Amino acid sequence: MSEAVLRRKRPEDANFGYIVERHGLLIFCTVLTVGALIFAPNFGSAANLRNVLISASPLGVVVLGQCLVILVRGFDLSVASVMATAAVIAASFDADNPWSVIPAVLLSLLMAVVVGSINGFLVTRRKVSPFLATLGVMIMLQGLRFAWTKGAPLGLVTKFIRLVGTGTFHGVPINFVFLIVLALIVGFVLRRTTFGRRVYMVGGNPRAAELVGINVDRVIFSCYVLSSVFAAIGGLVLVGYVNAVDNWVGRGYELDSIVAAVMGGVALGGGRGTVLGALIGALVLTELFNIVLLLGLPVQVQLIVKGVVILIAVAVYLIAQKTR
Amino acid sequence: MSEAAAAIGTGDRSLIARVRDRVPPAIAIEIALILLLLVIGAALSEQFRTLDNLANIYEQASVLLLVSLGQTVVILTGGIDLSFEGNIALTGSILSGQVHGDIDLLMPVIVGVLLIGTVAGLANGGLILLLRVHPLIVTLAIASVLQGAALLYTQRPIGGMPDGFDSLAYGRIWGIPVGSTLVLVGFLIVGLLLKYTRLGRQIFAYGGDPAAARLVGVPVTRVVLFTYGLSGFLASATAIFLVARLGVGNPVNETPLNLSSITPVILGGTMLSGGRGGVVGTLLGVLLLQTLSNLLNFLEVSTFYQWMIQGFIVIAAVASHLDRRRRRA
Repeated sequence: MSEAVLRRKRPEDANFGYIVERHGLLIFCTVLTVGALIFAPNFGSAANLRNVLISASPLGVVVLGQCLVILVRGFDLSVASVMATAAVIAASFDADNPWSVIPAVLLSLLMAVVVGSINGFLVTRRKVSPFLATLGVMIMLQGLRFAWTKGAPLGLVTKFIRLVGTGTFHGVPINFVFLIVLALIVGFVLRRTTFGRRVYMVGGNPRAAELVGINVDRVIFSCYVLSSVFAAIGGLVLVGYVNAVDNWVGRGYELDSIVAAVMGGVALGGGRGTVLGALIGALVLTELFNIVLLLGLPVQVQLIVKGVVILIAVAVYLIAQKTR
Repeated sequence: MSEAAAAIGTGDRSLIARVRDRVPPAIAIEIALILLLLVIGAALSEQFRTLDNLANIYEQASVLLLVSLGQTVVILTGGIDLSFEGNIALTGSILSGQVHGDIDLLMPVIVGVLLIGTVAGLANGGLILLLRVHPLIVTLAIASVLQGAALLYTQRPIGGMPDGFDSLAYGRIWGIPVGSTLVLVGFLIVGLLLKYTRLGRQIFAYGGDPAAARLVGVPVTRVVLFTYGLSGFLASATAIFLVARLGVGNPVNETPLNLSSITPVILGGTMLSGGRGGVVGTLLGVLLLQTLSNLLNFLEVSTFYQWMIQGFIVIAAVASHLDRRRRRA
């Protein structure tokens, strides 16, 4: 984003649309936070803020991957299924043995690479629409998982995963620190490396990217594999937090992660958006869910809020684009 | 004998050639697979090869037929509707919750429920036109709202239907299931509408090339609103059938209807990019899937493996369709 946006930053461009597209989410985030501090008294407590961060972190990890896939004009609907599968794999090892974390993580990541490769293969080689490919893979994985667990949850995860999921370090949730580290890596890769530039080029204009000699398929393929890997990591972080494995760990995260990315300004048309924006999107979404609960509204209102928020976000970005 | 066989052989070959020109390959494959499954089933299981079981397959197809009919029309326009699960959760719960066994309330509530479903569909269409984003996003967002509303209304199955309402799902006249036959009539109507009316041709035109369709004066707004409105209407009709089958509406969906509705459409050769395909392929696709699941049930294969098989069928079907088109191009 850096160069493309910097070049656009001329005085005559600093109109409503530009401001909304660039800073809209931060403005919204601030307004939301101030409003919450006034109307929901418990919101500002350290415990609650920590809760928001802890529950935003697994989503944030998944969003990192989703963001990559959306940047190359795709979706990944299989993330939630990958999360649950990673959780089920992690729980199938001996929870009392601290060393079992190594095979658990490795096997989860291996599964993610395989799933991501299938997604990537279908999208690039077979030209299947991303949504259908990942939806089919999602259902297949779901069937496999249920068949493997016979429909019943398996057990607990090891200490280390629990620590990453729930622990705090001087009051800061460890999983949030973990997320920040991952985000810095992804952000660096996207901004400073050839691969990152290629991701933006492929998303912005695949034909042009191909003409200048970029292996478009390989870039897209990598993004799908990375998305699954991040989803698996997110699943492990989440299961460390909820500490109960069942077949639906991460249910709903496929839509949540897309909502967060879109809210954060990652364009569904591909090629535009940043990791930072997407992460703020994840935070705002979690904050919204949190506020719904603090206001004493039923938990189901979260679903309605989610649906309405994504529609509003899309509408705002549309208007912003038009007025620019 | 050999001469006769040879004569029949040549006759068959020319017949096959003639059929091949008329029948789209996807439909031919579907028919072949259905026949194959029937033969395998008849060979493996005594209960499978009864007339009663065939009627069962047909009877159980009603729900899948309804959702996939809506999905077919949406996909013909190049869109997708993923709000079925939310729509059905809301309309089904309201239906059994409001009627609560009172037969006098049945008709008004049914009309109301169909209206809610249609309005939800129109909201999908309107927002897709207004926001110009992928229908996937809009329909998922609306689905989230509908699902939330359903769970606000009730969190567990409530209410009930008057006696005899289950005849919509289980009733038979002369051994023929009534519900599925009603749905089949719906298929016929939509099929005729697509083939012989102006609106139907406009749906194909818009799905084939939205920009060109707009230029030649296809009323895009009307086409999109009609398509998603119909889809929403059919979703609430599905809810009515599900309530008739189960006796009560459930705010939590247990079957992945969104994917199930897409599978038969793809099997039937309707292109996801829009503009090509039709309802006949979808109809056969549903029958194929229903026969398969019936057979797998007889072979005592668990639902989980059946899901896996379904996911695999989707992927295989899509991958092979595109392969064929590319070769032709």
